[in-house]
Amino acid sequence: MNDVVLNIIHFLITFLFSLGFLMTAATILTYLERKVQAYMQDRYGPLHNGPAGILQSPFDVVKLLLKEDMKVTKADSIVFRVAPVIFFAPVITAFVVLPFSPYLTAGALGTGIIYYVALSSIDVIGVFMAGWGSNNKYALIGGLRATAQMISYELPLVLAIVGPVMLTSLLAPDCLHNASLASCGIGSISFSQIVSAQMQSAAPWFWFALVQPLGLIVYYICGLAETNRAPFDLPEAESELVAGYLTEYSGLRWAMFFLGEYGNMTIVSAIATSLFLGGWSGPGASIGFWSGLFGATGFGGFAAQVIFNAFGVFWFVFKMSVLLLVFMWIRATLPRLRADQLMRFAWLFLIPLTLVNILITGLILLLPIGLIPQLIVSGVVNWAMLLIVIFGFRRLTGVSPTGKLPRWIQQSASGRNGVKAPTGGRPAGRPASALGAPATGPGAIVESGARR
Amino acid sequence: MSTSAVAFRAGQFEDAGGMRSEEMILNMGPQHPSTHGVLRLVLTLDGETVVQCTPVIGYLHRGMEKIFENRPYMAGIRYIDNADYLSPMINETLYAQTVEQLMGIEAPRRAQYIRLIVSEMERIASHLVAIGTYGLDLGATTPILWCFRDREQILDMFEAVSGHRFTHNYMRVGGVLQDLPQGWMQTCERFIDNFVNKSLPELEELLTGNEIFDARTEGVGYIDPQQAVAFALTGPTLRGSGVPFDVRVDRPYGAYREIAVIPQVRQEGDCFARYRVKMDEMTESCRLIRLALDRLPGGSICQRTPIALRPQRGETYASVESARGEESIYMISDGSEYPYRAKIRAPSFNNLQILPELLRGNKIGDVIAILGSIDIVLGDVDR
Repeated sequence: MNDVVLNIIHFLITFLFSLGFLMTAATILTYLERKVQAYMQDRYGPLHNGPAGILQSPFDVVKLLLKEDMKVTKADSIVFRVAPVIFFAPVITAFVVLPFSPYLTAGALGTGIIYYVALSSIDVIGVFMAGWGSNNKYALIGGLRATAQMISYELPLVLAIVGPVMLTSLLAPDCLHNASLASCGIGSISFSQIVSAQMQSAAPWFWFALVQPLGLIVYYICGLAETNRAPFDLPEAESELVAGYLTEYSGLRWAMFFLGEYGNMTIVSAIATSLFLGGWSGPGASIGFWSGLFGATGFGGFAAQVIFNAFGVFWFVFKMSVLLLVFMWIRATLPRLRADQLMRFAWLFLIPLTLVNILITGLILLLPIGLIPQLIVSGVVNWAMLLIVIFGFRRLTGVSPTGKLPRWIQQSASGRNGVKAPTGGRPAGRPASALGAPATGPGAIVESGARR
Repeated sequence: MSTSAVAFRAGQFEDAGGMRSEEMILNMGPQHPSTHGVLRLVLTLDGETVVQCTPVIGYLHRGMEKIFENRPYMAGIRYIDNADYLSPMINETLYAQTVEQLMGIEAPRRAQYIRLIVSEMERIASHLVAIGTYGLDLGATTPILWCFRDREQILDMFEAVSGHRFTHNYMRVGGVLQDLPQGWMQTCERFIDNFVNKSLPELEELLTGNEIFDARTEGVGYIDPQQAVAFALTGPTLRGSGVPFDVRVDRPYGAYREIAVIPQVRQEGDCFARYRVKMDEMTESCRLIRLALDRLPGGSICQRTPIALRPQRGETYASVESARGEESIYMISDGSEYPYRAKIRAPSFNNLQILPELLRGNKIGDVIAILGSIDIVLGDVDR
């Protein structure tokens, strides 16, 4: 067999694997989500279809496929019909670049990250078209919210990915042997190279999450927002907007949005896994060990490759599943942010934070102290930043991660903002105490600090 | 009110650059997941900001007051269950007390204590629903299920007492239907212990300390005390604004004359304060139930009354503190078997009136947060 045939076989296997994985992952995830959430909420979840209800999701899929294809009479017909396709297509396409294992990487694109970022921003168009084409006010508001949200969170998402890319510049093969700035400094934006950069022979489990925990957290938060999951599920906030941009959709078209959302979750987790959690690295996922056991050539070599790749896929999917479970955990725990708090969180908190992270990481990588100290210093600084952000930020600056503004911004914003002042001289926002007015009268207002 | 009589018009604007913009009218409800029943809010929106809000009510109107006029006195108890369907026990107590006042009789002490116990348990159940759905309104899916889990136990106990889980039909003019069953008091004590020590802290942990919950509720929907009084708000909505008015304290009735209630008051006046008042009231209710169980006197549970009640000609006004505020009935008797008039003063109805004032200038997301915090029951609003 020549190389062309091998390449075609390789491509077919990986493509079918990705596609099959996406489809089954979405179905399994819906079941898992219902079950996990149910156990968190003291109930059983699906129970009756199949043992422990495992057939519930296939049944749901069949039901959705068999439903009548309904369309609102006054909807914008073409936009309404095309929207789910535009939402769903990038999800399938983005799956191609995910490095499940060394062999199961169909598109070993040199520009994997750019490709992923580009595709993930196409989703917005589908959502907006759905909101606009439905000719429904809830859908319109939902669509607009989704657009604003996804565009805002795209920026910190990309900026959070820059951290690992900078680290790869340090760990580039040329740089390792000859630690001068001239020979290294070129990072990689290919997923497989980033994964292999996390498996140095000296430190096989050098996951970037150890050095860039802040990046992982910020990326994950932005991933939540990108996929419209709680606590950022404003576009489809059922208590406010009924179902947001999905209000008028049913049957297969709705299912496409639904599968797309779960597909997006899978992709976000997969990218986080390969960028921060070492991709397919893990015990057993080492070709040296298995080819030592079975031999490097002939059938033994083939078996070694297969087992090695199976372990790789296992670890990749395992790490991904852990992240997906965190998605569900968060959904069962947290309430939803308000639209303006959400935007504030992105623009005033996440983007400055990621920029500072990039700046500091870059400065540390320029220090002439050698590779290992650089990594250690960068890791320590990043962990410190993470802890400061989690525990000390609110106390230090008065800016809350959930979007409460410090007083000086509140005062300047209330003056020029377009929000109509409520009549009757009552503040729409905080009671008088927050604005610095003394507490008077029969209803003396207690400072909020005394509350708990 | 016929809805077509109200004209809703959206304003149109043009800025200096010739850019046209239009206000949008959004019909929120009556079929909407979080208007707590069949409330319809006609919102005029400028982007996501509410310019004007008009609540349209009456979708659940059952002509309850008219029904009272056509039924014997005793039969009214079965109907008032459905007025505020989240606190039927308290409604029944109110109705029974009103007729008792009209007739000039009083229930035996044991019956009054039993009324207090079930009323306070109903208050807990009602606040659990209020807080659970409030969490759901804010997007947290778990609190409602935890709340309903605890509420189930209360409903089970009500079933043991009255035979019904929801519309109990337990109170009688002159007392209660039947005595507490064997072992009920122990079950109740066990529930209270478990609730105070385990479920309530769990719920607090899930909601109160949550940064997002705080951000959504603190400073949102501020009602100042004067305004609250001017709108005749009662219940947790009033006490959340720092006015310590509670019917159980200011005009004590039944066993509340012997068991002192500490009114739960917060000064902040925002959604968080109203949430906090409800949480504190549940703890307070548990304390009251424990006290009442300890002091529960013996004796008869119901006074003998004639089969057909014919109160003498006259009128009376009685009120109780329901889970939502001062629920009262103004009743006129013309000496016949039927009430001449029975007017219900529903706390939800009065509390709802402040909504348009509160919503103006807020975002859509806050509409739900504020509506949930004033905690209305549409059955009580429309009757």
